[in-house]
Formats: sequence, C-alpha cells, structure tokens
Amino acid sequence: MNIDNFRRAVLIVGLALPMSWTAGSVAAQTARSYGVKVSTPTINQTASSAVLPPGGDMVTNSGQSIVVGSLVTAQDAFAIVTGDADATDGSNAVSSATLGAVSLLSGLITADGVVAVASSTIGGNATGSDAEGSSLANLVVNGESVSYPAPNTWMALPGVGYVVLNEQIPTGDGVTTSGITVNMIHVVLLDALTGVQTGEIIIGSASSAVGN
Amino acid sequence: MFKLRTLAMLAAPIGVVLIASSCDRQPGAVAPGIGKPLAHFQPGNFVCVPVKITGGGRIDYPPEQAEKNPPASHEYETFGAHVMGSGQQDANGVCLADKGALEWVDHRPEMEVNGHPLNLHATEVTFAEVATDASCTDGAVHWGGKLRVQNTGQSDLDFEVWDCDNGEPGRNDGFAISVPAIDYAVQCFTVTPADPTCYLTGGNRQFHPTH
Repeated sequence: MNIDNFRRAVLIVGLALPMSWTAGSVAAQTARSYGVKVSTPTINQTASSAVLPPGGDMVTNSGQSIVVGSLVTAQDAFAIVTGDADATDGSNAVSSATLGAVSLLSGLITADGVVAVASSTIGGNATGSDAEGSSLANLVVNGESVSYPAPNTWMALPGVGYVVLNEQIPTGDGVTTSGITVNMIHVVLLDALTGVQTGEIIIGSASSAVGN
Repeated sequence: MFKLRTLAMLAAPIGVVLIASSCDRQPGAVAPGIGKPLAHFQPGNFVCVPVKITGGGRIDYPPEQAEKNPPASHEYETFGAHVMGSGQQDANGVCLADKGALEWVDHRPEMEVNGHPLNLHATEVTFAEVATDASCTDGAVHWGGKLRVQNTGQSDLDFEVWDCDNGEPGRNDGFAISVPAIDYAVQCFTVTPADPTCYLTGGNRQFHPTH
C-alpha cells in the first residue's frame, strides 16, 4: 500500500466509522512508519516498514543497511508503530521512523540522522495530532547546509525535481478524527523536459490517525 | 446492521460486568524488587488494579530536560511501549501483567554496539502496577519483565520502566527505563514530570484506567 492509499484509508476510517454507528462510538486508530520508500518506473521498494494491525498493539521493523540502486543508501533504520483504540478512555497512535546516515541521488542530499515522529490522540481531554520530536541532523541539500527546516520547506533540485523537507500533512476533521503524516525528506522526481512527475523518494515517514 | 447494533448494545453491559468482576481491586501489591526505591514511585505506593498504558515517542537524554537536543548530537532515544494488566496477583504478591511490549532504541553514539544503535526488545512483560502518588495527572504505571539486547543477543535480562501520562500534549508525559544487568538506565531526577521519568520530546503516553 503506498502512502496515497494509506492516506485514503485513514480518511475512510475517519469518515466511515462514525457514520456506521449511531447508538455509540467506535474507536479506531492507524499508524504506519518506514525508513525508505522509492517509487520510480523501474523501482518500487519500501524498506523497514511497520504497520499497526487492526486492534492496536505494536509492530517494529529495522534494517542496518539499505541500498536502493544509486538512489538511496541508509544506515540503521528503525520503524516503530503503537496504538490503542479505546472509546472509553481515549485512543492514541504513535509512529516513528529513525535513520542514521542517509544519502540520496549519489550524494545530492545527505544527512547523518533522521527522526520522524507522528502522534495522534482523541478522547479524554484532547484531540489532536503533531509531529513533535521529528528532526534532521547535518542535512545538506545540493551543497547547501539546512538546519531546522520549517514544516513543508520546498527546495528546487535542478535537473532532478524538488524536495520537500519536514513535510507535514494533517488529516481528519479535528473533532471526530485526527491524523498526520510527516515525511522528513520527500524528493519528487520530474522529467527534465516535460516536468511530469516520474517518481518519488521518501526518507523517514511516520503517520498516525485516530477516530472516535 | 440494526440487528448487529442491537446485539452489541445488549452484550456490552454483560461484558462490562464480566470484566469488572474479573478485575477485583487488590491494593498493596508490589512488583519484583529489581530497582531502587524512587521518589513518586515508592514501593508500597502501588495498587494492583486493571491497567493499560500505550504509546511511544522520543526522549532526549541526557541532559534531563524537556527540550530536544541539537539533532547532530544524536543524544536521544526512541521507543514504543505498552502494557496491560487485569489486576491479578500471583502467590508472591506480584501484580501480573497480561501482555505488553517494549522496543527501545538508544541513538547516542556512546551507546552504540558494533557501530549500531543500542536496541532493546522485551521478550516478556511480567508485572504492571499503578503508582498512586506519582505526579502524573492521568496515571502512572511501574512495569517490567525480561528483554533481549538485539545487538548482542544477551537475553533474559530484567528490566523495569516508569511510565507517566501527564495529560495532553504528550510532551508533558514521562518515561524511564532501567536494565540493571547491563548497567543501563535512562532516568531523570531533576527536571521531570515524575521521578524518575524523563519528559517526552515527541510522541505520547496514554493511560487507560479501564479496559
């Protein structure tokens, strides 16, 4: 399941569950994280991926060394997802993806530490989602050092496409559903002549969502 | 759908009664004494009642503060953890956990093993007791069991955690861990939501008083 399908699933969970029950509420939560995802016409690979199963609990995955052709090398990827659906006390979902040194596109983008954290809570005293705890260490993009990129920082990659740093995509209505996806490095590959998207690379992705 | 909903509505009260009757309050239970007595989590100030706490996140330790360290320092830990107990004691008075899990990754360079982050993985969660005097608004749990050091294969090591849900947002929550056999601990005593827990710098802990 790619990230778009995951977002659709989160939306469906958020919208469909409240509508299917009128006599009471149904709690739900989703969480997913991964270290590396590459989608091109010739490569479709996700590495160190963890997806929370229905009913909650915890799932982990890791990889010490990830190589995807000449597009990505990454060290020490860990994905952890956890959560619980609880209509009485409140539901939560937390996911994280961490990596050590990463290099994209033969060194066009490098970092020596990536942390993506997504957290969602509903019920109890609060409803909301955030990406607190997410960070990038010693990030260099096309020769330029980038410290503490703000959410959704966009940078051009001449001849390649563009990159969105600390990409944060909220989901849900904030009342009965809440969710967020954070992609710490999201490269969009464009055809140099037509500008048409030809693929994408995501490093450090964490998603969480809850519904009540 | 109507029949299903009606059936569920009729079954729910029966389920609640059954669960409640299986989770009788048994105050005074204590966990195995594998750690030092600590403020706010003093042995004797626990009750053995039904409990569940879930979530995960990030801690930046050391130092003992609620702010993120500079990312380039790699001075942080990430984790996922949950435990559930029904408030049952064994013959020794240990408050038993029904199930649980812990995955802990310490990213500090000085903690690396063979060039990789220290990775602890719980193989068994054996006890869970609710702290009655912790400074955690929503609830605090002391729990633990056995874990394996993934990097080295060392296994069957006792661990215990102190787990604090201090309301929302999650950065008010706290978490601490100790693995005495390898002399490993992440605990904060100076700036903390409840000793010995460290503030979360990301993620969330959620205490569920009922389950």
